Amino acid sequence: MRRKASLVLLALAVFFTALSPLLRWYAFPRLAKIPANQYQDMVLEAKDATLLDYGTMKAKKVPKVTIVQTLKGNVQAADKVEKTYGKDVVVWDSLSYVQGPDGKMVSKLPERYIFDAHSQEPVHATGEMVDDDPVKREGIEFKWPFLTEKRDYVYFDAQTRTSAPIHYKGTQNFRGLKVYYFEETVPWTKVTFPKVMPVKGITPESVAKTGTTRWYTTVRKFWVEPVTGAPVHGEEIHKEELRGGTLLGGRDKVTAFSGHVKMREDYIEHTVALVKSNRTLVLLLTSYLPWGFLALGILLLALSLYLEARSRRPADPEPSESSAPEPVTA
Amino acid sequence: MRALIAAATGLALAFALVLTMTAMGSPAGKTSPKPLLTTVPAHP
Repeated sequence: MRRKASLVLLALAVFFTALSPLLRWYAFPRLAKIPANQYQDMVLEAKDATLLDYGTMKAKKVPKVTIVQTLKGNVQAADKVEKTYGKDVVVWDSLSYVQGPDGKMVSKLPERYIFDAHSQEPVHATGEMVDDDPVKREGIEFKWPFLTEKRDYVYFDAQTRTSAPIHYKGTQNFRGLKVYYFEETVPWTKVTFPKVMPVKGITPESVAKTGTTRWYTTVRKFWVEPVTGAPVHGEEIHKEELRGGTLLGGRDKVTAFSGHVKMREDYIEHTVALVKSNRTLVLLLTSYLPWGFLALGILLLALSLYLEARSRRPADPEPSESSAPEPVTA
Repeated sequence: MRALIAAATGLALAFALVLTMTAMGSPAGKTSPKPLLTTVPAHP
């Protein structure tokens, strides 16, 4: 009976010990992925910002500029790309909608971002675009990969349509979470006008005829939770200028937008709570279960060996019947 | 010999479980009907 039990324990010990590395290095890279149908919105605000008044073509101080960013996973488009790519793919249709203090649209930037659901490597397929201009992204955008490393990453900038390193600048504590802080400075770069302008009747083509150009610079800051790769906070010190041409009435340049853009407080709280719960799920596959199974395997193996050793020990001799003492006679 | 068979069974079961789990994957679901926002939401 002990022999049988020790064999069953041995089988279980090998099962759990083998499961430990299999979960971490085989199952995790295949199971951890960004869902194709994700939908997420984010609100960022720039308080006391400078905004161009297109009526007077003069920059003015405004109390607040709001940016609403939506990411929407397009499952049908992802299925199509997966057929040719042969791996799990995510297609994000996104919109960054900028609204002035009066609620009117300042600018909007639609994008289609296609990437590998597991590694977050960009995937180049028809439809990848920024503001309807076809692009070929390099590096990441919006989110870092699972198990983010302490190193620089290449980040895609939608305004310039180019990629550049975003630098790892240290580890910090953000609202109880260990986060990696990344920062990138995009130098003043000439960029295209948005396809949809804030004033009716003005098109990028009509502005181009005046010889006026649009320039942009930003300091981009992200606080990234490294297990999930999700940014829990983001900021941009963003500046845009119009330069030259007849549109400015003899001036060299005019500020189109200048502001310190930050995530709205309620969205920070929501994101931190969401990332904390997702972090536990990732840790389950990368740490809790592998280490737990390994410990269980070792324990079961020890128990199996103990039972095996006991089953092999020779049996104790049978206790002999003690004879009654003979009566002593004198 | 019996110990070897027991160990091999445990190993085979571990591989079978992990391979089944990864082969099944997770369903992709459907595209959300919610629109790309052009108004500021009151809360997340």
